[in-house]
Amino acid sequence: MVAYIARRVAYLIPTWIGITLLAFFLVRLAPGDAAHSYFVRVHDRQPNQAELASTRARLGLDRPLPIQYLDWLGGAVRGDLGTSYYSGREVTDELVSRFPATLQLATAATLITLVIAIPLGVVAAIRRNSLLDHLLRVAALLGASVPAFWLALLLIIVFSVELQWLPALGRDGLQHLVLPALALALGEAAVVARLMRSSLLEVLGEDYIMTARAKGVPERRVVIRHALRNSLGAVVTEVGMVFAILLAYSAVIEIIFVWPGIGRLAVEAIGQRDYTMLQGFVVFSGTVFVLVSLVVDLVYLWLDPRVALAQGRGVR
Amino acid sequence: MRTSHTLRTGITTLSLLLVFVASCMRGQPDGRGGTQPAPPEEQEHVVGAGADRYTSGGGSDQGTIGLYPLNINIFEGLVRMDAQYNVLPSLATSWEFLPPNTWRFELRRGVRFHDGQRFDAEAVKHTFNLVAEGGGGTPGLGEDSTEIIDDYTIEVTPMFENRRLPQQLVHPNYFIVAPGTEPNDDPVGTGPFKFVSYRPQEEIVVARNDDYWGELPTLRRITFRFIPNDNGRRLALEAREVDMALDIPPDAVGELEARGFTVEVGEPGAYEAIYLNKSGRSGYTILTDERVRHAIGYAIDREALVEGVFEGYAAREQTMVPSRLLGEAAGRIEGYEHDPAQAEALLEEAGWMPGPDGIRQKGGEPLRLELIAGFPSAEEHGAVPEFLQDQLRRVGIDVEIIRTPDTASYEARLDRFAGDLWLEQGSQNDANPAFLPALLFWSIGLFGNIGYQPVFAPKGRFDEVIARAVATPDEEELKELTAEALHILIDQEAIVIPLAGVVTVNVLDQNVEGFEAAPSGLHNRYDTVYIAE
Repeated sequence: MVAYIARRVAYLIPTWIGITLLAFFLVRLAPGDAAHSYFVRVHDRQPNQAELASTRARLGLDRPLPIQYLDWLGGAVRGDLGTSYYSGREVTDELVSRFPATLQLATAATLITLVIAIPLGVVAAIRRNSLLDHLLRVAALLGASVPAFWLALLLIIVFSVELQWLPALGRDGLQHLVLPALALALGEAAVVARLMRSSLLEVLGEDYIMTARAKGVPERRVVIRHALRNSLGAVVTEVGMVFAILLAYSAVIEIIFVWPGIGRLAVEAIGQRDYTMLQGFVVFSGTVFVLVSLVVDLVYLWLDPRVALAQGRGVR
Repeated sequence: MRTSHTLRTGITTLSLLLVFVASCMRGQPDGRGGTQPAPPEEQEHVVGAGADRYTSGGGSDQGTIGLYPLNINIFEGLVRMDAQYNVLPSLATSWEFLPPNTWRFELRRGVRFHDGQRFDAEAVKHTFNLVAEGGGGTPGLGEDSTEIIDDYTIEVTPMFENRRLPQQLVHPNYFIVAPGTEPNDDPVGTGPFKFVSYRPQEEIVVARNDDYWGELPTLRRITFRFIPNDNGRRLALEAREVDMALDIPPDAVGELEARGFTVEVGEPGAYEAIYLNKSGRSGYTILTDERVRHAIGYAIDREALVEGVFEGYAAREQTMVPSRLLGEAAGRIEGYEHDPAQAEALLEEAGWMPGPDGIRQKGGEPLRLELIAGFPSAEEHGAVPEFLQDQLRRVGIDVEIIRTPDTASYEARLDRFAGDLWLEQGSQNDANPAFLPALLFWSIGLFGNIGYQPVFAPKGRFDEVIARAVATPDEEELKELTAEALHILIDQEAIVIPLAGVVTVNVLDQNVEGFEAAPSGLHNRYDTVYIAE
């Protein structure tokens, strides 16, 4: 098991370097010129060639790309992701100061997802093919199909504009968290509910469940005590991925709800050709994603030590 | 397919149902309003502004927090500009031109910065030296440009011959910062409001400067919330989370008005226009024919553009710079009537005859033009490209629309001469009418070649006229010469086809009074705003 963990951790290094390479070079493949955008914004007019060249030099964009990359990578290893071309602020500081907002949103959305999805999935499974199951299936399909931005706008119109029950924008307290977390969670809840249903149905078809029923164990006890616990394994494993997905999806919701997280920072950086901020975002969120995956793997290992054994034997 | 259809139907039904329920619950405007200010404790105001575009600067560039592009009245310049583009005294009480190239400013006495420092000539020199370190800006301020004559008199000699210094100094980039302060941490100016706090991309807060040298504002505190999304600003207003929303898209205005909000529209501070590539380079040769260029001018129905695309929130101006900036001289520019018959006659005279698909042809080649939209951004033009495509097709011109992702890509195409029609929205952010024509179309350029001149510069008489406009110290002559230059550019050469004067639309809660939108949002003032009872 120790060897498995060590190997799993060692994989992080090439993965992380791959992320930095992608972050650096993909951003530069995008059309546009950060130096030009910077000059127009600061000076409120278009630059001539000499001014553009001097701005490029000042931003360090006149050096060969490999040198720029190595320079940036050296800083990134030390936790210094450079200075934003747009705001002039430190990228690491910006990301670190905004990450708690995104984390809060993604965590709340994950909790809402579970609170909605697990009961719905269970009810759908034990009332299989009933009207309730069909209704839940339609609801799940709707939830998975409705774009988050549409749902977000609808929630604002109903609960903020018309009813004025909840604030629409910003992050000043828990009440500000409700609508963005709901908008983010509902789609994912639909997916997890479907997973919960199918996982529970699979377990309910196992021999030991039949045995329990044959022994006269009450159905409620069969479901809750025997089937649910075992079917939750797949859902719990999925939670890590759901969390990572919600982190990524939060950008759209952060824009709509003016939520000061890193997703919004990244979207605005794209529009501003803020290379350093975008690179920083990709590396930062990539690192978070990789670490979450590692934690999920380790939790899975803890739940089922056969994983390490299988990996050690080269079994996929 | 059936599932998809059912799903769409379901979603549509659900949304209609929810909107119906919401509309049933909709409250009526609360009928507030009036002209008396509410008690002082209620004079707190929240403004929904666009994206946070402040920069902390770096290197030789100054930070712009509180200053530009969202000017929240912390800082002031030597001069300011009113809605008529008149240059008015501010921290300078008077100024005069001293030939050959010096401007003398008498400074206002008794003014203090928010930190208690005295405002004097040293402060002006400090700020102008910062501008010089950043390249000198539009006025061309150099390290040795500013000379202190006495505590309240300075002389400024730009690095190049510059007759427009006072008109340029109205721009917030040249507003005066307190010596020894750090604008990024604690912006300190002399303005009617003092800096309180700043959370990047969230909000910036100011409070009334009780020691202000001018008339005291009524508002005690203003919070500017950054809401980049147009729809977000609108919803924030409807949810009463902001009292005023800046720069609301015209298509949202009607409903907001119906719900009791007040609409405040500025005079045109920008223009929408097409620039025509007549260089004939890189295979883009069609517009070398002056008749085709003029035909495009006649083919466009500006009335329909203003009403249909801008929902009435635009001006039927054809001057490229706001007409009020040119005064009576604006009449020199004729522009184009909507006259499709004239357009078609010109095209036929140029040899472009109707083809079987309605698109004109000459020598078997279709009359097809590329329209590039990308400055200041493709989104800024809304549906204007499609409108133009439709209008030009009616006279037999096929238009392909190309939207560039940013200004740099736009100008990279410009460097390659790759496009026929270039759709632009230019802003008039200072009081110098000759700035944009000279910057973009003068063959030697105000700041050299910025990429526009090889594609668009008409040269010849235009160059002579604009050079005289730039050089004259006389204001009236400046207006007349600029108008003459625009007449050449628009009416004679048809290199610029103006479409409309662009206005900013701001929407206020009913109880917000005293706000007057400036033509250019950079010059909005909040010291006259108050919350009415």
